[in-house]
Amino acid sequence: MVFNSLDFLAFILPVLLLYWLLFKRTSTLQNVFLLTASLFFYAWADWRFLALLIASILVNYYLGIKIHNEEDEKKRSLFLYIGSIFNIGLLLYFKYVNFFYEGFYEILNIFGLESGNTSFQILLPLGISFFTFQTLGYLMDVYNDEIEPTRNLLDFSLFVAFFPKILSGPIERAANLIPQLEEKRVLEYHAFVDGLRQILWGLFAKIVIAENCAAIANPIFANYEQQPGSTLLLGIFFYAIQLYADFSGYSNMAIGVSKLFGIQLMRNFSTPFFSTNIGDFWRNWHISLTTWMMDYVFTPLSFMLRRHHKKGLMISIITTFVFVGFWHGANWTFVLYGLLHGIYFIPLVYSGKMNTSQVVAKGKLLPSLKEVFRMLSLFILIMFTDVFFRADTIVDAFSYLGKTFSGSMLQRPTGIVNSLVFITFALIGLYMFVEWIHRERKHDFEISSYNVYLRWGSYILLFILILFFGRSSETFIYFQF
Amino acid sequence: MELHTIKNKVKDVLTSILEHNNFEIHDELTAKDVDGWNSLSHMMIITKIEEEFNIKFKLRELNKLKNMGALVTLIQNKA
Repeated sequence: MVFNSLDFLAFILPVLLLYWLLFKRTSTLQNVFLLTASLFFYAWADWRFLALLIASILVNYYLGIKIHNEEDEKKRSLFLYIGSIFNIGLLLYFKYVNFFYEGFYEILNIFGLESGNTSFQILLPLGISFFTFQTLGYLMDVYNDEIEPTRNLLDFSLFVAFFPKILSGPIERAANLIPQLEEKRVLEYHAFVDGLRQILWGLFAKIVIAENCAAIANPIFANYEQQPGSTLLLGIFFYAIQLYADFSGYSNMAIGVSKLFGIQLMRNFSTPFFSTNIGDFWRNWHISLTTWMMDYVFTPLSFMLRRHHKKGLMISIITTFVFVGFWHGANWTFVLYGLLHGIYFIPLVYSGKMNTSQVVAKGKLLPSLKEVFRMLSLFILIMFTDVFFRADTIVDAFSYLGKTFSGSMLQRPTGIVNSLVFITFALIGLYMFVEWIHRERKHDFEISSYNVYLRWGSYILLFILILFFGRSSETFIYFQF
Repeated sequence: MELHTIKNKVKDVLTSILEHNNFEIHDELTAKDVDGWNSLSHMMIITKIEEEFNIKFKLRELNKLKNMGALVTLIQNKA
């Protein structure tokens, strides 16, 4: 059940009404109802893994309390290890077992040993990469004494299973979400309207921007062998925008839906294309994953290697980004994607310019030429890594890139529908313009301060654009992760 | 070591790593309040503090630090 579907509308309307009319009395009532709705939502998507989700909730809830209550340091670590093995084990089994299994058989083949069947049929439970990271983070926070474990199984279950974020994040932190679940939520008009606004913006990003980009990029990637380099370059550009609009659009809808219930999820994207260096880009792109990796992978690693100064820092960054890439899926293409991003940090670390983290052109209408140049070069560098993100194999990615950088790059692009490309360019222009003027705000479409004509003008414009240029779609790129 | 000596030394460390001094050291100061004090520069700052005071932190101590006051107290207990 995707957010942009009639199914979801039929689900969310009664849930919202019941939540605010019938179950508003206490936080317990609210949570019982939200948990029921969330489990129903998850079961609707894929009932076969409901038991897995519930098992994960119970095991992590119990371990959190165990870690906290245990005074013996060794036993505390032991419980954390058990939790880590459980959570990472789930991920490894469901997501990565074929990757390692096939790798193992490749090695046997190299040594001339015969291999039989080379893969298992394992279905990927929806949202597993997201909720296992959330519970793993929870256990580590408890172990580090950064939070107290919750002793309320209901609150903990909802923390893991809350339906707006269960399928594709944001990967929430206990310190942000659990305290909100412990308090009774009160209906606030402004927060509710802001949620609707954010949903509208996410919907526009998804079904207008991402889907039109996909309509251009998909045929190009599917038949890249027959296309000139110039067309392939267009394909990369539109895919890069698609990837962003798809996932940030999804995130805005998830955060918006959550706001309708009086719950504030963390921001997941903060206009990443308006960054002037790779560090800033990752501070603004898939923030919930990046901060998770920073806290639980990068920080311990860079702490261990701190005596090696910049070299240690560099090794930590590259390792962290290889993990970031690999998190997306069991494919060498994702490993290479992460590695490339890690390598992009090298000039930043060695130039000593990594200490900047400011909004570009803060308080100004337009960026300087230097900033424009930096943002564009960064976008181009990132755009090329997205070929690895998209391709099925590394060989495909390299042959796509090889064809792109051939003599035919200077030819007129062929094999594309011109009108669709021009319209999509114009829509992307509008999309980026709106994001640019709101880059210092709490989200991309936070227009509460505008006067009533401008606000309603914007809503109507978006509705019209969605009506005329929207394309239906049944899935999101990040559902596969 | 006196608190204000520690604070001055910490200030010097921050200035040398971040290459600016647009901040005032006070107990409630957090990394978020200081331009450029992010996850990348954090470990360089920590390493430099360890060298300056000739002390060693544990990762768990660092994870628990909430603000400058806590950092200064931690340094004082170790130095």
